[in-house]
Amino acid sequence: MSSITVGDFLRSRGVTRRDFLRFCTATTVALGLPATMTPRVAAALEQARRPSVIWLPFQECTGCTESITRAHGATLESLIFEAISLDYQHTLQAAAGDAAERVREQAMKDNWGRYLLIVDGSIPTGNPGYSTIAGHDNLSMLREAADGAAAIVALGSCAAFGGIPGAQPDPTGAVSVADVIKDKPIVNVSGCPPIPVVITAVLTQYVTFGTLPELDALGRPKAFYGQTIHDRCYRRPFYERGQFADSFDDEGARLGWCLYKLGCRGPTTYNACATVKWNNGTSFPIEAGHGCIGCAEPGFWDNGGFYRPLSTGNWGSARTVGAAIGVGAALGVASAALARKRQRDAEGA
Amino acid sequence: MPDAERVERAMKSFVKDFGRTAAIYMESCIHCGMCAEACHFYEVTQDPKYTPIWKLEPFKQAYKREYGPFAVVYRALNLKPKVTVERLQQWQQLIYDSCTVCGRCSLMCPMGIDIAALVSQARHGMYAAGLIPHELWAVTERARLEGSPLGATPKVFKDRLEWLADDHEVEIPVDKGDADVLCTMSSIEIMKYPDSVVATARIMNHLGVNWTFRLDGYEATNFGLLAGNSAAQKQLTLKLIEAAVSCRAKTVILPECGHAYTALRWMGANMYGEPLPFKVQHIAEFLAEQARAGRLKLKKLDKSVTFHDPCQVVRRGGAIEAPREVLKALGVELREMYPTRGTNWCCGGGGGVVANHRADELRYKTFKIKMEQIEDTGAEMPVTTCANCRQTFDDGQAHFKWDVKMHSLLELVADHLVEDDA
Amino acid sequence: MTLLEFARGPGLQWSITIFIVGVLWRLLGIFLLRTKKDLSEPRNPATWKGLRLIALRSWPRREFLGGTAFGEVMGYAFHIGFLLTLFFYVPHVLFFADVSRGLIGTDLQGLTGFAWPTLPNGIVTLLAAISIAALVAVLIHRIVNPVKRLISNFDDYFSWFVTVTPLVTGLAAFAHFAGWPYERLLAYHLLSVELLLVWFPFGKLMHAFTIFAARGATGLIFERRGASL
Repeated sequence: MSSITVGDFLRSRGVTRRDFLRFCTATTVALGLPATMTPRVAAALEQARRPSVIWLPFQECTGCTESITRAHGATLESLIFEAISLDYQHTLQAAAGDAAERVREQAMKDNWGRYLLIVDGSIPTGNPGYSTIAGHDNLSMLREAADGAAAIVALGSCAAFGGIPGAQPDPTGAVSVADVIKDKPIVNVSGCPPIPVVITAVLTQYVTFGTLPELDALGRPKAFYGQTIHDRCYRRPFYERGQFADSFDDEGARLGWCLYKLGCRGPTTYNACATVKWNNGTSFPIEAGHGCIGCAEPGFWDNGGFYRPLSTGNWGSARTVGAAIGVGAALGVASAALARKRQRDAEGA
Repeated sequence: MPDAERVERAMKSFVKDFGRTAAIYMESCIHCGMCAEACHFYEVTQDPKYTPIWKLEPFKQAYKREYGPFAVVYRALNLKPKVTVERLQQWQQLIYDSCTVCGRCSLMCPMGIDIAALVSQARHGMYAAGLIPHELWAVTERARLEGSPLGATPKVFKDRLEWLADDHEVEIPVDKGDADVLCTMSSIEIMKYPDSVVATARIMNHLGVNWTFRLDGYEATNFGLLAGNSAAQKQLTLKLIEAAVSCRAKTVILPECGHAYTALRWMGANMYGEPLPFKVQHIAEFLAEQARAGRLKLKKLDKSVTFHDPCQVVRRGGAIEAPREVLKALGVELREMYPTRGTNWCCGGGGGVVANHRADELRYKTFKIKMEQIEDTGAEMPVTTCANCRQTFDDGQAHFKWDVKMHSLLELVADHLVEDDA
Repeated sequence: MTLLEFARGPGLQWSITIFIVGVLWRLLGIFLLRTKKDLSEPRNPATWKGLRLIALRSWPRREFLGGTAFGEVMGYAFHIGFLLTLFFYVPHVLFFADVSRGLIGTDLQGLTGFAWPTLPNGIVTLLAAISIAALVAVLIHRIVNPVKRLISNFDDYFSWFVTVTPLVTGLAAFAHFAGWPYERLLAYHLLSVELLLVWFPFGKLMHAFTIFAARGATGLIFERRGASL
């Protein structure tokens, strides 16, 4: 834990009181807390010690880091990262090799029991050699780091649910953090990648109140994963009226009609994309003309083709139908033959 | 007969009867209950047990268990229990006392199930199990053994023909070796309405037809059909067919009787095993044909008339307009009752019900429908072309002390023939 | 495997398989039974004209309408609402198109250039609601009316249940009932459809097929005799 407070640190970076309060208001509201709580958030944050955060990257693509750290101009979200003591993060840190590992070990030792662990990427349970950091396999590294963590944020669908590495045929035996760690609080911030404000809100809550937000059945913050894309989608009226795009860039598509027929997973996906959107509220996939692929849900990669509408299922194939027809016909012929025989017997006797 | 044997005989008979058509019907009932609305027995009692398809419940049960596509499963899991003798006994009344096989239910059924035909089939099993009303069994035996259900044996018939010919001064040919037309009568007419025999003779002679009665085949009624005794039914039908073949008849005329028409016109060839070598007509059809050809010279019957449609002739048999053509030839003022033709109400005595005295009380209740129908027309005289209907009307008339008498179409025609006495 | 994955995967496959097997077993088991040729001389030789009974029996004769009008009207309200919902609601149409593509490699649009028409969701919602109301009405009638109560059995009530449940769960899913998780609602809907498919061949729902056979058989027999149709 750093010795200076978050407030001091921000002031040292030239963040004005007004900017700071704006950040607190936005984050309070994003967390689903009443706006009247903003002064409490501000006061607490002001006095908070910068917590140590260890970020372990496992079988990941670095997309989560890209998303979270993408700063278009001076965004308020990126401030929080300055407010925490990010002691280990492969992409952002300057150190490398043994030096980096020593920093991690030291930070863990100094803050044992109090640091926040962020994990992105899935953990291979097959051959440990599939994914290693400085010769240490992911599984043992996770266990060791989790031991001294106060809480864990499983960042991205890989860490939360196994993600793309876990998709069929799952060559590495990829599992989520929650599959491995059972005795620590885990927040699943799913998405491929997740929305930046979600992570900052979670961190803010932790830093401010020392608590984790209310979670849904899959361990995701209800404030952001409590509603489906479908329920907040601006194209919903078209769905209601039955106006759908039939193919990409057709008449309906150009009129901005609903993308259900093109495979949109909006109805079964819980995330904040439709309200918070991406790139500082610029847009989100549906608005850009592509259906939601459900990236915040477990197993989204194996949930039927992205362009097959939700209503289609794995009903079988021509072969299974053919087999069924064969069996049914055989049973029908057999039962008729049996009945005829009974009739002949009744007549003969 | 021990109970177990009764059930076994019934089941075996049922299985013999099930075929593709019966199976389709058994599989199609959706329990909508609309058939009840068409049945006169339900109409006058509002008792749900008279619902037509309910009359077939044990038959259906047996079908599903013994013969349907899932029979093996039904038996293995006992999903449809074996029909018990108690059930069959309970059902005796429903199948024989409260069904005239009139076919109104078949006309109503949204699924198109011929419920009436199934009742006839179910009767086979009931007969095999010995679970039929005593009177029906008795008259069937009489018919089978003596040649008539009512005692009109060949000797009695011959004697009657002789005194009728004498009394009414009409020539009645008997046992011709070669005739174009073989006429038949029902025992009801022979014993109760002998004027119909005379009428038949008069008309045939008036038309100059080469016709005959045959003592080896004159009884048109078929209690085998009504009781459910298929062997007797076949025997009685074959008698008529063989008699017709013996005299090389080109046409066999059935008398004013309902089920006689069904038995020979529609079921006869199947009993015989090959197409019949002669035409079969109901007397009303024959008369209509003659009227159309202008051969029937009739005096005008200047009365208002309403026609009661015998179920087996009209609704089930298809001779819908023939009686009306004859009435037209008689020049009557025809006032159709409501409903009429195919949807007309049954007299309540067909299908063996009038012979079954256990069913009298129920039958009288249904007769009220007919009385109301006829009175509503305001016609002076009701007419029909079935002696059993006529018998039922006479009995109902006596019971209710009704002042309306039913008339026979055949007798009306005979009474209004223009005879040129040259 | 989540409930939805099961419902959209093995649940769907097995229920469709059982449906096909059961329907063929039952239909062939009936149609291959013995039939005797009718040797009587037909009144009307063109007996095939009797098939018009299939259409004629769709509405009772005026003389029978008195006690049957309720059942007929409710029956049609249910069937029409149900069938329109089943065949003209967008997600259903997409499902059938997918099945078609899986079976014959193309769908209606691919074959003819014409897209299967669809009804707006608001209309479908209304139709589904009407269907459910009609079903409730006939259930009440079945329980209250002495004739129907006497002749009804497990099949009648269970078939009612498996028919109303897809309608209710479908509406619930569409309306995101009570904010329940959508996948769960969708899973319930699919599972209820699968139950319907599995039960279909074994109960009275088969009337969807047998109605043509029964009306047709009677029509042919009666036309031959000139009997009243």
